[in-house]
This record gives sequence, structure tokens and C-alpha cells, in this order.
Amino acid sequence: MSPVAIALTGIGLLLILLALRIPVAFAMFLIGFVGIWALNGLDAAMGLLSSESFTLASNSELIVIPLFILMGNVASVTGMSRRLYEAAYAIVGQIRGGLAAATVIGCGGFAALSGSSVASALTMGKVSLSEMDRYDYDPRLSTGVVAAGGTLGILIPPSTGFVIYAILSEQSIGRLFLAGVIPGILLLSMFLLTIWVLCLLRPAMGPRGPSTSGSEKVQAVMNALPIIVLTLLTIGGIYGGLFSPVEAAGVGAGAVILAGFATRTLNFRQLWEASRDSIVTTASVMLILIAAHIFNPFLALSHIPDFVREVLISQNLGVIGTLIVILLIYMVLGAFLEGFAMLVLTLPIFVPIVSALGIDLIWFGVLVVLTLEMGLISPPVGINVFIVKSVAPKVPLGKIFVGVMPFWVAMLLTLAILIAFPQLSLFLPSQMMQ
Amino acid sequence: AQELKFANFSAPTHTITAAVVDKLNDSVSAATNGELTVRGYHGGELGSGPADQYVRVVQGVADVAWGLPGYTSSQFPKTMIIEMPDALPLDQPAYPALLRAFDDNLASEFPATKPLALWGSEPNIFIMKSAEIRSPADLAGLKIRVAGSSAGEAVEALGATPVQMPMTQVYNGLQTGLIDGAISGASTLSDFKLDEVADSFTLGANLGRLVFFVVMNQGVYDGLSDEAKAAIDAVAGEELSKSAEDAWIVTADAAVEAARADENNVVIDLKPEEVAAFTDALAPVTDAYVAAVDGADALAAMQGE
Amino acid sequence: MLPTLRMVTDRLINLSAFLGTVALIFVVATVLFDVIGRAFGKPLYGSLDLTTMAFVVVVFGGMALCDKRGGHISVDLFERHFPPRLNLIIDIVVDLLGSVIFLTMGYAVLKSAQLSVMLNLRTNLLGIPQAWFQWLLAGLVIVTGLALLLRAIEFILAGESDHEEGPIE
Ligand code: NA
Ligand code: NA
Repeated sequence: MSPVAIALTGIGLLLILLALRIPVAFAMFLIGFVGIWALNGLDAAMGLLSSESFTLASNSELIVIPLFILMGNVASVTGMSRRLYEAAYAIVGQIRGGLAAATVIGCGGFAALSGSSVASALTMGKVSLSEMDRYDYDPRLSTGVVAAGGTLGILIPPSTGFVIYAILSEQSIGRLFLAGVIPGILLLSMFLLTIWVLCLLRPAMGPRGPSTSGSEKVQAVMNALPIIVLTLLTIGGIYGGLFSPVEAAGVGAGAVILAGFATRTLNFRQLWEASRDSIVTTASVMLILIAAHIFNPFLALSHIPDFVREVLISQNLGVIGTLIVILLIYMVLGAFLEGFAMLVLTLPIFVPIVSALGIDLIWFGVLVVLTLEMGLISPPVGINVFIVKSVAPKVPLGKIFVGVMPFWVAMLLTLAILIAFPQLSLFLPSQMMQ
Repeated sequence: AQELKFANFSAPTHTITAAVVDKLNDSVSAATNGELTVRGYHGGELGSGPADQYVRVVQGVADVAWGLPGYTSSQFPKTMIIEMPDALPLDQPAYPALLRAFDDNLASEFPATKPLALWGSEPNIFIMKSAEIRSPADLAGLKIRVAGSSAGEAVEALGATPVQMPMTQVYNGLQTGLIDGAISGASTLSDFKLDEVADSFTLGANLGRLVFFVVMNQGVYDGLSDEAKAAIDAVAGEELSKSAEDAWIVTADAAVEAARADENNVVIDLKPEEVAAFTDALAPVTDAYVAAVDGADALAAMQGE
Repeated sequence: MLPTLRMVTDRLINLSAFLGTVALIFVVATVLFDVIGRAFGKPLYGSLDLTTMAFVVVVFGGMALCDKRGGHISVDLFERHFPPRLNLIIDIVVDLLGSVIFLTMGYAVLKSAQLSVMLNLRTNLLGIPQAWFQWLLAGLVIVTGLALLLRAIEFILAGESDHEEGPIE
């Protein structure tokens, strides 16, 4: 068998294993390990298994994952999330789907604090899902909102996705961050529009709450003040140079814990249980990431990217044609691969093609990152959907995938708008940097 | 025909590709009429990050890889001497020094592999934001990014506060003011986009430099035909190391040129009497390190004595 | 025999989770000390060494408990349409496969710990041997692998699994 045939067989087997409800991580481990064994020998497979598990579990950036989970868990035990949602409910609860809209806006705010979509979906999921449940929101809407809203983490700066893209494509990090701002706000607005349409078609998805008086609103906001102030201080600490975005996760968790102790809403036993729950969620998420890092080198070794490039170059599709085909390839690959690994695998191949066609690489970066976000929520391997599943174990995975579909369509529309109007991506960087 | 897998944790556009991967491939495929080739696996396709590259070669994930001893300095105590301030004069290339010291002093730090190249980077400079460095006093209380413990001691000897941080976070750290600067080679200005956020650069003090290796799995080498071994031996060592170090200097020079051309930047070239203050402050750090790793012989060999 | 094994395994799972939980609280405290100290010009020396190594314990300390709580995510689209017999077989296969994966990972990490000893790999500032954490990692995933193996045996002997189907859509 040729390497490409081995890779396609591997993908086919992965789909079958997933359909047989083999855990996602186990299936990727198995196919990746056996595939590398077939292509590169057993030593290579064993070596990668040991080094990826240790390296990712000691990665100084991924450490935000358990820290943000803990922050979300403690905010939930201490009632901070509840009070936050009571405030949101008092203000926008009487609008249909108001809490879902508030959650999306919260995701946008959290995206300004975190460079990672995984961290965004985890924290917002921990904070918001049980709250929306309490107000009788349809789980399809609430989980869909968090899974999709979480992806804003890599479009709104700071963004790990843009940093990796910048280094691989030799573009400016600062320009890419600026380029992501307007598309990020556009996508956020499209999500809000999606919620509005969904609740118009099916009012039961986000039921209307009772109207509240002005003083009730003020009181609710006052109750939520601690968590709002803590979040703003954490964002301020990053931009004020007190700590890095990675450390912000630890500072955020520590601040919520200390605030909980100070207000006597947290005791040591609750902290212990919240931490114990956090390591369980962490294990589930990290195992999928480690498995993805075993599966990706298998596809790299199979030379599939080179194969794709040859097909692409031989077709002569023109600027928009090539662009659309590349984005389609990202959508297909994104269905299977973890996003950042996919960038590393494919950008070195696509960037020269794109740049030879005279396509602006900043604009292309925005389109690629948005397509990456679509991959995070598209089946069968939708990391953000798995994340939401890990914090909402009672909701069937199928239901979450159904719930995110409208938002996936919203992303597709946003992508089309960004392709049609490159200035939406390029205006800010051209204004603010020379 | 046999293909060697060369693991590159950086982008394919990085200096390493032309200077080492392609050069190695061109040389050995020409010498063996295409019987032996080298293929680069870029962007960490064979496993990400610089720290594990040596291990990946030993484990057979890759046949050849490049890396920085600085990421796992405990494995390379004597090789790391070349990174210390004033170990070598600034204008003297590092690769001949490393090769001179290799057989007697450094070989034991490279078990289970065959080193194909050892070289040094351009000299370290001060890469600062909103702080002009002309003397050690200008560094008092500033937060400077470091990677390893000896760099940390050097920073402390200059009166600054060392902050441990991965290179990938330096951009953001400089931008937000979390750190005031970094001590590193000028090539990081383009490789990690630091030129976008730093605005003051101080050149001329001997702050040491980085060291790099290319290693090949020993078992894979031993399994090659005599012809293929000869093809590798012909390019390994002096030729490949020089190609790498020269290319590094060219990249760094271009970055310094670009920094000088930008009128928003301050580029400070220290005068000899200003340099002396740094030399005096840093000499005890280098002496202490060399003594701690029992490296007097290695240093003497590097310095050609 | 089997009940004793179950008790021992459960204790090992709890011990693993205990280590992971302590490590997570330790990471939070370390980051806080470092950030506050740095604001006063006295950062915690080697904080990155401490947090990244503790992270290893956080990730793998919770692995066995995660599995026990059914936390490994799978695609539950079709399980409702599978006959009970097939669901039992799948449950057993999943546990056996997971067991093989974790035990292989443990073995691979033990082998690479040997390499870390040979190469004297240590953290960059504090010089903590990397092999310590690789041994710990290997121990934690071997516990996970054995727990999965035991559960597979329990399912086989009982002829039924503790499989719960997801809520009705
Ligand atoms: Na972000
Ligand atoms: Na996907």
C-alpha cells in the first residue's frame, strides 16, 4: 500500500471505531500508533507515544486548561456564576434567548483574556451550562452556544492560533491580532443573530423570563460584582504587564478561591472537591489532545499534504477558486484533526501557493483561523464539542452536534462575507500599523 | 535508495532548511548518486518543540534532528560553556572552537548519536522595550527574560531580575511590559517577531551566544553502506557546521540592518570602555560556571590554547 | 479474589487522584507567589520548572478516576440502536483497548525515563531530574491500565456491563 492509501484507510477505520463508540482518544491513539508503526517502525511509534504524553502534560501553555477549569468550578461552587447569570437574567432575561446571547457576549469577553478556544469553552461551559439549564433553556441551544462561542478564543486577540500562523507564514503577529478584531466582532454578531432566529422559530429553546424593575436590575448586578471585578482585574493585569495570559489562568483561579474564602462562600472541603473534579475534566481533555498529537504525525508521515498540493497545482483554479478549494480542504481536515497541529501540517504547503497568487497573507490568516474554528465544532472530531461534553456529561454528544450546526452555518456565512470583503480583515492593520 | 528523516521543529522557511537540511541532502545525494537522500519534516511534524529533539533521534522517531543544548542544559554542561559571556571573543566563530574541543571534552555529552554539526549563533545582544542600556547600572531592577540557570545568574550579576519564560511568550511579554527586555541573538527579531515590539538594542557587550547541534541516530549511521557513510562523513563536521553558522550570521546581520533602518529604534553600539563594565560584571559568572562543570580543559580547547 | 483486587484498585485510583489534586492546588499557589513576588522584584526562582512538572501529575493523576467516572468522551449517536449484546461486547473491547493503550504508554514512558537518566535530563533552573516525573507518569497510567483491565474481567465474568445509555433524545 502507498502511504496515501494507508492514511485513507486509517481515516476510514477511525470513522468506524468512532461510530462503534470507542472513546475518541482511544481511537486516535490506536490508528495513529499503528499507522506510524506501519510507516516508520515500532521504535518511532513507541518514541512518539512516550514523548508526546510527557511533553504535552508538561507544556507551559496547556497548563491553562486545568487552571481555567478550576476557576470555573470554584466560581460555580461559590455561587459566583449563579449570581452572574442572575444579573444577566435580570437585564436580558425578558428577551427570548437573552441568556444565550449573554453567554456569547461572555465568550467574546473571555476570548480577550485567553488565547485558546479550549480554555474558553471549558471555562464558559463550567460557568454557564447549569445556569442556562436552571432557566429552562434547551440543552441544544446552551451547549451549541458554548461550543461555538468558545471558538472566538482564537479569533479575538490574544490568539494562539494567530501566533502559530504568524510564525509559520512569517507574518506580523501584531497585524494578525488587529486583523482578527473586526471579524471577531462580526462573528459574535452573527452568533447573536443565530440565537435570535432560533428563538423566533422555536420560542421554547430560550424561554422569556419575567420583566424586572430598575432596582432589581441594580441589585442583581451588585450581587455579581465580585466576579465581574475579578474578571476585569485579570484582563487588566494582562494588558498592564503584571502577568502573562498563561499566568492569568492561575491568577484567575487563585483570585476566585481567595474571594470565596473571604466571602465565606467556600470552605476547604469544597475547594478539594472542586479541584478533584477539575483534574478529572483535565484528564479527559488532555488525553484527547495527546491522542491528536499521535494521530497527526501519522498523517504527516503519509505525505497526504504533498499529495493535496500536487492535485491543487495541477488544477489551475485561479485566485478565488484556489482560495475556496484550500478552505474546503481545511474544513475536511478540520473534521478530523486538532486545529493547531493541522496548521503546522498544512501551512508550509499552502502559504507558498497562496502567496504566489498574490493573496494577502494577513487576510488568508483570518480566513484560515475562522475555518479552523469551524473544524473545532464539526463532527466527527470536534474538540470544542468534546470539551462541552466533558462539562455537560448528561447531554448526548449527538444533541450537542445538532445544537452547534446553526452556529456552524453562521460561521460559513461569516467566512463568505470575509471573502467578499477583504477590507473587514485588513482595515484595522492598515490603519494602525504604518 | 534510502531516505533519512530530518526532524525540524521550526517552519520550513527557517534558516536551518537551506543551510543544513538542503545542504546535507544535496551533498549526500550527489555523492551517492541519489542512493541516500535527506528529507526535512518541518514544523514539528515528527514531534513538536525544541527540547525533545535529541531524544527523538535516540528513540528513532527521526534519523537526524537539530536542536539547542540550552533547552536541556543538564545534558550538555561542557558544550554550554560556549554560551557563557566572554568564553570566545565576539568576532571569533564558534564552530571551530566546538570542533576543537569535541573529541577530548564534549563527545561524552552526545551518547547514542553521531553529531553531524555543532555551531554557534550570532552574539547575544540586549533586546529592550522603552529602556536604553549603556551600562550595567541601566539594568537595575529591570525584568529580563532568561531560559536557563546560567543566563539567570548573568542577568542577576548585571543587577536585573531574571524572568523565566518560553521564547514564544516573549513577544507578548515585551508588548505588555511584563518584561523589559531579553538577552538573545538578533535573529530572534525576525524569527519570533520581536522587532515589532522591541525598540532599543544594545550591541557590543560580550553576552555569550547560543549553541546548536545536528545529530544522527548512531544505529542508522552504522547500518549505512560504506559509500553512504563516506558521503555523510564528507559533509559532516567542519563543512556543515560552517554552512550553518554563516547562515545564522547572515540572518542576524539582516535583522540588525532592519533594526537600524527603522527610525523608531535606538541602536546603541557600546564603546570599548563601556564594554569593560559588562565584562567585569560578568567574568565571575563565567568563571564560576566553568569551575562548576569542571570545564577548564574544555574552555582551553575552545579558546585554542 | 476479585473483590480484593477491586478494593486495592479503587484505593490506587483514589491515591492517584489525591496526588493530582494536591498538584493542581500547588500550581495555583506557585503562580500566585511568582506573580506577586515579581511585582516586588522577587519572582519565585524556577517557578516554571515547578508548575510544568506538577502539571504532569495533574494530567495523569486524574486519568484513572476520569475513566472510572466514564469521563472518556465517545460518540454516543448509535448506541441506542445497538442490541444489548453488542453494547456489552463494545464495553469489554473498549476497556481492553484502553488497558493496552495505557499499559503501552506506561512501558514507553519507563523506557524513555531510562533515556532521561542516561542523558541526565533535568529541569532548566532547579535541575529536578525529569525521570522522577516520568516514573510517576508511568505509575499513574499503569494504574489506569490495570483498572481498565480489571473492569473488563468483571464484565466478562458477570456477562453484563454497567453500561448506561444516554438520556433519550
Ligand atoms: Na483570544
Ligand atoms: Na472537527
